[in-house]
Amino acid sequence: MTLAVRKAEAAAVLASHGVPHRRIEEWKYSDLKSALGEAGIGKVMAEWQVDNLPAGIEMFDLAQPNPPAWVLGAFGRSAHNVMSAASLSLSAGGVAFRVPAGAVIADPLKLDFIGPGHVRGLLVLEEGASLTLLEGVGAADFRNVGFEIAIGAGGALEHVRISPDAGDAVLVEEAHVHIAAGGRYRAHFAGFGSKLSRMELEIALEGAGAEAHLSGVSVLDGKRHSDVTTHVIHRHGGTNSSQLFKHVAGGGARAVYQGKVTVAKGANGSDSVQTAKALLLGETAEADLKPELEIFADDVKCAHGAAVGDLDADSLFYLRARGIPEAEARGLLLHAFLEDAVAEIANMDQRELVRSALLSALKAVA
Amino acid sequence: MSGIAVETKEQVAALGEKYKYGFVTDIEMERAPKGLSEDTVRYISAKKGEPEWMLEWRLGAFRRWQAMKEPKWARVHYPKIDYQNAYYYAAPKNTPLKQSLDEVDPKLLETYNKLGIPLHEQMALAGVAVDAVFDSVSVATTFKEKLNEAGVIFCPISEAIRDYPDLVRKYLGSVVPVTDNFFATLNSAVFSDGTFVYVPKGVRCPMELSTYFRINASETGQFERTLIIADEGSYVSYLEGCTAPKRDENQLHAAVVELVALDNAEIKYSTVQNWYPGDENGLGGIYNFVTKRGDCRGKKSKISWTQVETGSAITWKYPSCILRGDDSVGEFYSIAIANHYQQADTGTKMIHLGANTRSRIISKGISAGKAQNTYRGLVSVYGKARNARNYTQCDSLLIGGDCGAHTVPYIESRNKTARIEHEATTSKIAEDQLFYCLARGIPQDEAVSLIVNGFCKEVLQQLPMEFAVEAQKLVGISLEGSVG
Amino acid sequence: MLEIKNLHVAVDGKEILKGLTLSIQAGEVHAIMGPNGSGKSTLSYVLAGRAGYDITEGSIIYNGEDLVALAPEMRAAKGVFLAMQYPVEIPGVTTMTFLKTALNSQRRARGESDLDAVQVLKLVRAKAKTLNVSEEMLKRALNVGFSGGEKKRLEILQMALFEPKLAILDETDSGLDIDALRLVAEGVNTLRDPSRAMLVITHYQRLLDYIVPDRIHVLAKGRIVAEGGKELALELEAKGYEHIVGQAA
Repeated sequence: MTLAVRKAEAAAVLASHGVPHRRIEEWKYSDLKSALGEAGIGKVMAEWQVDNLPAGIEMFDLAQPNPPAWVLGAFGRSAHNVMSAASLSLSAGGVAFRVPAGAVIADPLKLDFIGPGHVRGLLVLEEGASLTLLEGVGAADFRNVGFEIAIGAGGALEHVRISPDAGDAVLVEEAHVHIAAGGRYRAHFAGFGSKLSRMELEIALEGAGAEAHLSGVSVLDGKRHSDVTTHVIHRHGGTNSSQLFKHVAGGGARAVYQGKVTVAKGANGSDSVQTAKALLLGETAEADLKPELEIFADDVKCAHGAAVGDLDADSLFYLRARGIPEAEARGLLLHAFLEDAVAEIANMDQRELVRSALLSALKAVA
Repeated sequence: MSGIAVETKEQVAALGEKYKYGFVTDIEMERAPKGLSEDTVRYISAKKGEPEWMLEWRLGAFRRWQAMKEPKWARVHYPKIDYQNAYYYAAPKNTPLKQSLDEVDPKLLETYNKLGIPLHEQMALAGVAVDAVFDSVSVATTFKEKLNEAGVIFCPISEAIRDYPDLVRKYLGSVVPVTDNFFATLNSAVFSDGTFVYVPKGVRCPMELSTYFRINASETGQFERTLIIADEGSYVSYLEGCTAPKRDENQLHAAVVELVALDNAEIKYSTVQNWYPGDENGLGGIYNFVTKRGDCRGKKSKISWTQVETGSAITWKYPSCILRGDDSVGEFYSIAIANHYQQADTGTKMIHLGANTRSRIISKGISAGKAQNTYRGLVSVYGKARNARNYTQCDSLLIGGDCGAHTVPYIESRNKTARIEHEATTSKIAEDQLFYCLARGIPQDEAVSLIVNGFCKEVLQQLPMEFAVEAQKLVGISLEGSVG
Repeated sequence: MLEIKNLHVAVDGKEILKGLTLSIQAGEVHAIMGPNGSGKSTLSYVLAGRAGYDITEGSIIYNGEDLVALAPEMRAAKGVFLAMQYPVEIPGVTTMTFLKTALNSQRRARGESDLDAVQVLKLVRAKAKTLNVSEEMLKRALNVGFSGGEKKRLEILQMALFEPKLAILDETDSGLDIDALRLVAEGVNTLRDPSRAMLVITHYQRLLDYIVPDRIHVLAKGRIVAEGGKELALELEAKGYEHIVGQAA
């Protein structure tokens, strides 16, 4: 199937579904159509930039002609969701990366998506390749990113995406990740919201030993919104996934987590665990959590837990009774609340980056 | 009390046979003409001798229904229902209401004996008042005197419409509005019978109330409408148990149950549902599309739903609680079993509106064969629901690799002082658990029953005693042959 | 140092303390004993300033100041320390971090300068040794996974670190075996000082063998019903609460 055909199919999907709105189940808590208003999704091409491409990574600008075979083979295969279809059919822009088999890249790949419009990304890790990806999210009125990631057998990808407070921006990203046998994907999403912020991930565990570990934190204030929607599919037995998401919503903000885990028929020996917790600090803040399980195999271990509440009164009293002033005590507890999700980040520098972003955000919201 | 033990033993032995309720009574039926139109609605209303206002209410609902579309979002698939290809009213011929059992057609009584509810014995032993509904018309209402003494009204809804119109008008449609959903609207137009209960202020209803349903005539949908009102400070426990015969055509069951609990009142509603589930090849079976909702209208009111659902080809029901009054409590305890080709999409909605409201959800889903079992729940805390508390535990048990177990919980909180906790697990019957039982001489099916009952214990403990034993047996029977 | 006069406290609308009067001078060790449900924990929580306890009548004067008017953190800064019966677990906050934050918060409130991490560590290490609190415990999240004995030892470590003027020990002996009890009691005894007052709340007489009080008060049904010297503890041990409470009623 050629690229042109894939793009045409994507255009058809977009045409038949239209821009998602709150009456569509998966977008119930994130009315994209309403947030965009008259402007709609447009046809503009967004930009991307890479800071100091580490040696050993092959890069290709998707706007250029004559893409290499590895791009043709992988690009545009996952565009069944509307917004992915939109970015594929509407944008000629984007960037593709390939890490050759066995290459272990020490320096992180720093990739930023910037400017308004639609843009695509492709990352192919061949067998045994290993990489750390640090993704930056620039502000813009509206941007729609479609990212495809293929992790080959035994490959490993660490992915950290920090999405700073982007005011009135409407930012959507859909990432499709395919993980082959023995491959590992570990990702962390730190989000500080915007008018509408949606990070959607579809992760397919396709061979025995494939693993996906997702974590995330969000600290929202004012009228910010942040939606992390994941769908992890255990296509094959002997696969493992875990998710840990923590949200703090102050003011009139809205934190959304929708996590669906599917275990396909016959995928025995699959193991999946999900935890989503939200703390509401604002009078009109809202948290919507929907951890979903769709299980078609019986020899599996799947569990999830979700909780919404406020700071534990006993813990707060304990700290205050030891002399820690209330505001500082609340801050300590908020940090403590988010800490286990942050601790999931493998790279020390990135962990500190997230920690300091949280520090300032928490000061504002607590 | 030893009398009850004997009774229960008999019931238990009876349940040991495979679906024993596969038979038909051959009493001449009186039917409305096939199809559904305004005339059908008028026919039903006339047959029931209803006042004008009730007919108008029905007609209003019917007109609305004509403009509505069947919902398609649940995870259940079924062939398109032809609403014109069914009878909407069927009644055994010689049955205006009887004052005593002696007046009842002995053939009907025989039917009830076969079903395991011998009225005479129940009268003496369990002290349970039984409102036995036989295909849309109540046959006998017993224990009227005892209840009358307490001031409790327990009668068929058609009777209540005639004798207590003010009460009915005040509360009917106030919990499940006529426009609520496709099946509720249909029910509002063509409901043929059901139960009405009113418990006056401060009265603790002296016994468990129960109703037995049975669908007999082919192609007759059952549209039961139940309304239970617990006035201030009162308590009532209501048991609903259903059986139905083998049929090849699918039969639609679209009931509506409305519960209203005022200040300090409590309603306990238990259901053991044993509708025909379809055969091993997925043929036949009841479609169970039910709307059940409880309104905790008063302060410190409490409504709890307990259900054991083992039947129906397709189940679509979400018994819910609106926690309106401050300090009100809602509970939902459920065991849902889906085997062979059954499909179930069930769960609950707990809507926290008032302050200090509490809800508790314990759901145990068991899937076997090629069945699909979905728990769909909503816990919604509104802005004014200070200190709301919810705890939800959903567990799924999968037997075999061809079935599915799905959990779709929606957790929405808009008040920062509310606390919501939700946990879900999925598992299977462990090999070593089974082996342990086998090694101790317990045959496979019994071992499965033992293990599954253990899995469901928390819910079974909520059932009134009479049902608990029947429910346990039912659980075992529903899963016969599912392992190995 | 502490003057409680006719204290009435209600929790959730129910009156628990029904006119409690007590006074403690600096340098003294007082014990409060009483049957379950007498209001012992209520008293300790009220002194520390926990929310949910309504003072309907009476007063608490601490060093000439109205204690009720002070927020919990201010009370701590002014030298009130409550060693809790059930120390809370706070995942995500390491013990060391907590100790440093608390110590410096208290110092700041008193107008003193912060201690840096090295100074705090030195201080903590010194006190930790005698209480058998390991370095490893200090690195763990606060009280998470700590045994009952470890939690209590950490409470006493904090007492040693913060150097309070009024230390309230709420059933510090509950859940401890003899060895753990001895260790904790030793720690408490080393902190006895003419400038410090202690209120030891306990159900059993056993602790008072190790921490010998100057005065014992018996709390029953929300009131002090008997008072005496340390012999009172032995009397209670021999005759039980009912006897003493019965006599007083």
